[in-house]
Amino acid sequence: MKKRILKNIFIILVYAFLYLPIIILVVFSFNTSKMNITFEGFTLKWYQTLFSNRSLLEAFFNTIIVAVTSTFISTVIGTISAYALNRYNFKGKGFIMKLLYIPIVIPEIVLGISLLSVYTLLKLDLGMMTLILSHIAFSIPFVIISVKTILDDLNPNLYDASKDLGAGGLETFRHIILPSLIPGITSGAMLAFTLSLDDVVISYFTAGPSSNTLPLKIYSMIKTGITPEVNALSTIILVVTFTIILLFTLKQMRSLKKEVVR
Amino acid sequence: MKDKLFKKIITIPVIVYALVLILLPLIYIFILSFLKSDSYGGVINVFNLGNYLKIFDMVYIKVFVQSFLIALVTTLICILIAYPFCLFISQKKKKTQTLLMALVILPFLTNSLIRTYGWIVLLRKEGVINTILLNLNIIDNPLSLMYNNLGIIIGMVYTLLPFMILPLYSSISKIDNRLIEASKDLGAGSMATFFKVIVPSTVTGLFNGSLMVFIPCIGYFFIADLLGGGKLMLLGNLIKNQFLTARNWPFGAAISITLLIITFVLVKLYKKTGGKMDDLGGF
Amino acid sequence: MKKIIICFLLLLGITGCGKNQEDTLNVLNWSSYIPDSIIEDFEEETGIIVNYSTYSSNEELLAKISSAKEGTYDLIFPSDYMIELMINRDLLEPLDKSKLVNINNLKKEYLNLDYDKNNTYSLPFLATTTVIAVNRDHIKDNITSYNDLLNPNYKNNIVLLDDQRIVIGMANQALGYSMNTTNDLELKKAEEFLLDLKKNVKAYDSDSPKTLLITNEVDIGVMWNAEAALALRENPNIEIIFPKENGALSIDNYAIVKGAKHKDNAYKFIDYILRPEVMKQIIEEYPYINVNEETEKLLSSEYLANKAANIPDYIINQAEMVQNIGSNIDKYDKLWALIK
Repeated sequence: MKKRILKNIFIILVYAFLYLPIIILVVFSFNTSKMNITFEGFTLKWYQTLFSNRSLLEAFFNTIIVAVTSTFISTVIGTISAYALNRYNFKGKGFIMKLLYIPIVIPEIVLGISLLSVYTLLKLDLGMMTLILSHIAFSIPFVIISVKTILDDLNPNLYDASKDLGAGGLETFRHIILPSLIPGITSGAMLAFTLSLDDVVISYFTAGPSSNTLPLKIYSMIKTGITPEVNALSTIILVVTFTIILLFTLKQMRSLKKEVVR
Repeated sequence: MKDKLFKKIITIPVIVYALVLILLPLIYIFILSFLKSDSYGGVINVFNLGNYLKIFDMVYIKVFVQSFLIALVTTLICILIAYPFCLFISQKKKKTQTLLMALVILPFLTNSLIRTYGWIVLLRKEGVINTILLNLNIIDNPLSLMYNNLGIIIGMVYTLLPFMILPLYSSISKIDNRLIEASKDLGAGSMATFFKVIVPSTVTGLFNGSLMVFIPCIGYFFIADLLGGGKLMLLGNLIKNQFLTARNWPFGAAISITLLIITFVLVKLYKKTGGKMDDLGGF
Repeated sequence: MKKIIICFLLLLGITGCGKNQEDTLNVLNWSSYIPDSIIEDFEEETGIIVNYSTYSSNEELLAKISSAKEGTYDLIFPSDYMIELMINRDLLEPLDKSKLVNINNLKKEYLNLDYDKNNTYSLPFLATTTVIAVNRDHIKDNITSYNDLLNPNYKNNIVLLDDQRIVIGMANQALGYSMNTTNDLELKKAEEFLLDLKKNVKAYDSDSPKTLLITNEVDIGVMWNAEAALALRENPNIEIIFPKENGALSIDNYAIVKGAKHKDNAYKFIDYILRPEVMKQIIEEYPYINVNEETEKLLSSEYLANKAANIPDYIINQAEMVQNIGSNIDKYDKLWALIK
């Protein structure tokens, strides 16, 4: 019994560690004191200044554009690629598969500087395009793996059955395979989206003058001093993410229940 | 015939992607690492090994050692927190387990910089932790919690902990409970069961987690910048400086290639312990 | 599926629009140099959209300019020695002064300086000098020189700039050498000085050393005068000390990058800031040394009374400036990596 209490205390402590900085940010976003030292009084002032901060809002929109675009493209390419790798053999396939793991294991900074070097070599303008391209570069492997795990579990006889029925490669993919891949695609896309929103290191090297993203903006804001607007912004982002996840989970739970009822 | 065309169309994207966005950049910095930089930022096309020899300068060896020590300590602390945590969680009911694991991931869906900023607010000399401890008379003088190595390690452990928890949890939850019971039936104590049954079957998970903590730790320059006060130079900071302030791209490229080789060696070791590549990256 | 594709195309459209805006200006400036409100006012008045990004050292600026494709940035704000270096490397565009109506507002003593005779490529924006700021709530000792900072009582209690030329230059000055020495023996001594000083250093921070002072994280800082002036605004018990070694003087300048795509807009921006009342707003928000004759008449009593803002002329005149030292910069690079 005593042992169990100790175990639970340990678990609670770990969660406290995980949630402490987040709770602090939310609480201090309502603090009248600029200094973030002690809580002096309740205010919504920082939310007001936040919404009149044009460059911060612009960075926010850039972040969303980069995340949505790169998620979309890397999900499409990732899904097709996972299928291609699972279904077909081609020259150098083993080598290509090895390359795909590189963005996952190497330190982000190495990927960041090597992409930057290539953009410079090719004389590309650093901007939204290079930023989106870089995000695609590190997201695709994650999508491929999450789709591939499902493909690996599919019954290989499906292909033959479909072929016997006279379906070509495209038909088989569209009508037989694609529907069953939806969970893998969704989780791959979610992963790509969060990776893109969270990325600091690669964006740091590959963004240009007109493509400030939120993490970069926050980085420079934190470096240039005490900015309670950052607390307010963080709180909003937290609330939005948590709401989306909550809705998502609720929806999943409901559909699970429905299945059980049936 | 149509089938062949379809095959071509769907295999081309992955080949183009892998060659252009992965292989080309790496080959380019590999070449860059053997070139020379002129004193103000340009690159001279002369083959030389100078950049690699420069790494063996005491100044830079120190940076390597510091980074690896920080990464090692971070990894060990992550194991010490994550191992018992996953073990205790795996003893709960299945439903509770899912919920608890979701709660682990939740904070990490917000930007890592924002969370690092939260730590600044907590760890400062007149930050939340010191203020509370001072008011409770637990300490007389504020503790130095940031602008030193402690701050960097706290930030790293915090940012990377889930990458240890996820693979560890998945390998711990796969252990067959009957094995543990069998071991107990055979008279093994809980310590013996732990070291002879549980630990061996989680080696891959442990290695996977360590890899996913150790490697990023070397590159997270922003945590060293924000929580370390710019006093400790990690490899990430060194590479960043070579590219963004010291204008010596070839040297920066040589450090990156060295780091890449170290990464590949670690991954090879991981595969030797029976780890699968698909399990890396938090899957 | 169709809906998704339409949404996606729309998004691409938005990104495309952002890029095709002809009426933009890409400014690369020091962090905390021009308040957001000034930029917004300028945008409102001219309809030009300003893309504003920042850097924290001259070296970072140089790296950004030389690695980015020509035409990426339009207007930059390099310091004196960096102007000279950029002219040598053919990175700057000669200025067409006929496009600057307000050019005569500039103080004569900041024109025609050694780094750019005749101001062919640059015009002064503002100047700054390093000062020592001490929190008198906690430190009572008499401090007059950089050498006093070695006092073992100040363990972990000092913030320095994260700028190699300035910090190593400070050590050189403390030892009685030129700020720009390239003599190996002297630099070795500077290295010892800095390693000794490091025990007292809590952080190297160029972006906002004032924060550490204001939040009582440290009690002593060597920083640019405006940072000290802002700290003084928050805490009147901070004393501003002009080190007897004569600190560093740095003059930051407007310069247009070679191949800039929006030159006319850059001139409009420079001319806008040269207006006395605009410069007054900037200098009162970030209290650096004013180089605008007409602004001088408008400055508030608060600015004039702030010891760290309104720096006496004799201090400015005796301060030393960073010089371009060519390939000897390698020595500084290595020394910097060693002491960090």
